[in-house]
Amino acid sequence: MREALALNLVLFLPVAGIVALATVPRGRGDRIRAIAFWTLAIQFALTAWLYARFDASDAGLQFATRLPWIPDWGVYYFIGLDGYNVLLVLLTAFLGPLVAAGAFSAITRDVRLFYSMVLAIQFTMVGTFLAQDLFLFYLFWEAMLIPMFLIIGIWGGERRIYATLKFVLYTAFGSILMLAAVIYLVVSIKSTTGIETFAFADLYRSRLPLDTQVILLAAFGLSFAIKVPIVPLHTWLPDAHVEAPTAGSVILAGVLLKMGTYGFMKLGFPLFPQATQLLAPAIATLAVVSIVYGACLALVQTDVKKVIAYSSISHLGYVMLGLASFNLLGIQGAVMQMVSHGLVAGGLFLMVGMIYERCHTREIAAYGGLAKILPLYAVFFAILALASIGLPTTSGFTGEFLALLGYFTSAWPQYLQGERLPIALAVAAVSGVILGALYMLWLAQRMLFGETRAPHRPFPDLTGRERAILVALVAAIFALGLFPAGPMSRTELAARQYRELVTAPAAPAVALEQPR
Amino acid sequence: MNASTIFIAMLPEHVLLAGIVALLALEIAGGRSRLALGISLAAVLAACAVALSLAQQGYAAVPFPGQLSVAPAVSVAQAIVLALAIPSLLISRDDFPGRTFHVLVLSSLYGACLMVSADSFLTLFLGIELLSLPVYALVVLAYRRPESAEAALKYLVLGGTASATLLMGAALLFGASGSLGLESFRLALDSRDGFAVAGVLLVLVAFFLKAAVAPFHTWAPDAYDAASVPVTAFMATLVKAAVLLAAARLFGTAPLGPAATGIIAALPLLSIAWGNLAAMRQPGLRRMIAYSSVAHAGYLFYAFLGEGALRFQAIAFYVLAYGVMNLLAFAVLPPDGDDRARDRLDNLKGLVHRQPYAAVALAIAMLSLAGLPPFPGFIAKFLIFKNAIAAGYTLYGVLGLVGSYLGIYFYLRVVQYLFMSEAPAGTRSCAPGGLAAGAGLLCLAAAVVMSVAPGWVIDLLP
Repeated sequence: MREALALNLVLFLPVAGIVALATVPRGRGDRIRAIAFWTLAIQFALTAWLYARFDASDAGLQFATRLPWIPDWGVYYFIGLDGYNVLLVLLTAFLGPLVAAGAFSAITRDVRLFYSMVLAIQFTMVGTFLAQDLFLFYLFWEAMLIPMFLIIGIWGGERRIYATLKFVLYTAFGSILMLAAVIYLVVSIKSTTGIETFAFADLYRSRLPLDTQVILLAAFGLSFAIKVPIVPLHTWLPDAHVEAPTAGSVILAGVLLKMGTYGFMKLGFPLFPQATQLLAPAIATLAVVSIVYGACLALVQTDVKKVIAYSSISHLGYVMLGLASFNLLGIQGAVMQMVSHGLVAGGLFLMVGMIYERCHTREIAAYGGLAKILPLYAVFFAILALASIGLPTTSGFTGEFLALLGYFTSAWPQYLQGERLPIALAVAAVSGVILGALYMLWLAQRMLFGETRAPHRPFPDLTGRERAILVALVAAIFALGLFPAGPMSRTELAARQYRELVTAPAAPAVALEQPR
Repeated sequence: MNASTIFIAMLPEHVLLAGIVALLALEIAGGRSRLALGISLAAVLAACAVALSLAQQGYAAVPFPGQLSVAPAVSVAQAIVLALAIPSLLISRDDFPGRTFHVLVLSSLYGACLMVSADSFLTLFLGIELLSLPVYALVVLAYRRPESAEAALKYLVLGGTASATLLMGAALLFGASGSLGLESFRLALDSRDGFAVAGVLLVLVAFFLKAAVAPFHTWAPDAYDAASVPVTAFMATLVKAAVLLAAARLFGTAPLGPAATGIIAALPLLSIAWGNLAAMRQPGLRRMIAYSSVAHAGYLFYAFLGEGALRFQAIAFYVLAYGVMNLLAFAVLPPDGDDRARDRLDNLKGLVHRQPYAAVALAIAMLSLAGLPPFPGFIAKFLIFKNAIAAGYTLYGVLGLVGSYLGIYFYLRVVQYLFMSEAPAGTRSCAPGGLAAGAGLLCLAAAVVMSVAPGWVIDLLP
């Protein structure tokens, strides 16, 4: 009971924060920053407590709240933690205060609006993860666009309006087809069972004909694939990342992209299992194309932010590959990779923001030998770069390794049966690891070592605030790398459930239970 | 039919009539014109309260058999129209300090109340004319710009065409069925008789003209643009709501039949696409809203594709959400001595730095009209498309949704101007007046209720 209350509080604290911000008198930027930071910090503390209380041996929904919201349509306010979302909610709540603190010095214009939007996006992101009702999920999913539109558009760089419109129009197009699919799904379930329901648990039990499944998976998948993003739907991402302010980039890379992979894991694949099985080779192929193509593009960029943006496309390819492996290790690796990428890419974007605040350029060529003038910065940057490559003991290793291992494990028996594609994909995916090492190490080498070069010298090394942010991030990265057992035990049952749902053989329609 | 039934069943109308009489008496007595706003507000509030309480009690009566009857759905429809009138009146003070405006608005409202309770084409025609005639005058009343006379004439001529079409359709239906009752329309929906089908199509065209569904929309951009802001708000929200609610009454729960299905699936889709595309290129807010209202008329007619029993609910919720958000936009639009300047989107650039509350409210209105969650416009759109898809019109539903996607761009463009653009040098904006701000708050409160507790609002609609 107390936990359920706390979970609701986790969701709604940012809203309370926005209300509190509205009451601050004009010109009190420091107070606004403090309110936003502490709201997010409390949110994280509560989430951490819930994470500790989370029962790893319970496969069901925990700390759930279910209240009728639009009873006529069978829509419920239905939230809860399970193995699918527990790590992602924790990641979101963890990054929240860091994002807020990271923007203390960068955002000086329209401070109140900025932190209101950060809180709003935090609300919608946590809501998307927690929702157990498709209507609620869609509501949060789509509402997320609005604060992001403003964050990029108001505080972004030179081409911010182009970038933000591209981002919104791209993602909204996916969403509108998903909306059509949501309606069709619910309507068709109602027509076969007579019950109008949006609850995920009920929707999993729908048994749709294969052709319908393929169309609906395409509609859901388009929306999710744009968010992930999967090549060739990725073109909004570099623009959005480059033009967004640091906080926007961190939110985008840290959490927003995981919405897509989470959507596939929680909804897209389990809702339409036969279609997923049919399309699995195509999904895996696209994932590998994303891995390799993203890495190749990252290699040739001249803008630091773009390197990290394209590396995100590559890293999230592993998540998709793990999800498409239908193998327990692969699935768990995918989940770990989501969290790891959130920490690592979020951290890298924060670091780019820190150097940008000092030098006002993101051109790689403008930098060199930072290790000599900013030793502390260089240490943190190197750690994050190595974590991004997937060095053992960091979180990046756990995720990537397991995802690849899982895919290999499922590809090998297929190879023995004469199926060549999966094993070829697995080999190609491994080459992505090498490419990843190449672009990341090269980036670190060009920026940190060699001839000392930096505009606007001299400037101070990391401030106490920046150090605290990075220490928190690095600690989390090592914790996940060294002690993955805790988090993985919490996601294991969900991974099993996902595998069972997705590999379920086609079965005749079964009646749904009456809503409780 | 007895006197007490007539008295109770038409009480909202009587209250409005009392208001009109009081306003006319005030005109003769030459009292202060500020009183006029008070009288008309009191009349509309009282009429709205009466309609709501009739709906709550489930009151149903037939004061004039075959001509006019009252049921909870009718009272709810009247309450919606009257409720939308309240913000329209509140934002009118700066533009219309005189009494004329209020007499015209109350007369128009009387027509709206009559329309939604009509049982026969005679009453319906009477209601539509009473609704429209004052609006023609309201358009001319605006600022006496040269183009407003032209626009009003255009509106008048096309409105006259709509009336003629409606009468012709009613005549054909009378010829086919021997009755002027609205049920002759419902029966004709399923008929194969040429006269009946032609009658149905003509009546539909009349409604398309009134609701500005493409390709019958050409009067709307000119009329909306030439009228002053409160009148535009009145036309965009209340008139459209009354027409659609009357259409809901006309169709009832009858299945559409082949002829009507074709036209109701095709023209609204055209309307959505054309309205949204044309709205992208408008330099002024009123023209933009006019084209967007063409698109919204398209969504609204999609509701008729849905199953009969669900139509009224979908339309009622939609016109309420759409009306409230439009009124919010007009209420917080910064006043300007020059009516043309007030309208230009360029003048909204960087408004967040001059009038932050107005900018936020305007942005909420735009995002809701775009149908983005969590605002009420999303739930309204969801309801309509869900019903259409549930009734088997999947392809049309998907096309309509994709069409609605086209609309997102120009609404976002307004938000972009408000928040992301630098104001041109020398731009000043006044805060909305006290009453207009009050109207904005009222709309905002309604929007919050509809977003947070949509289930409760839907439950209120029979």
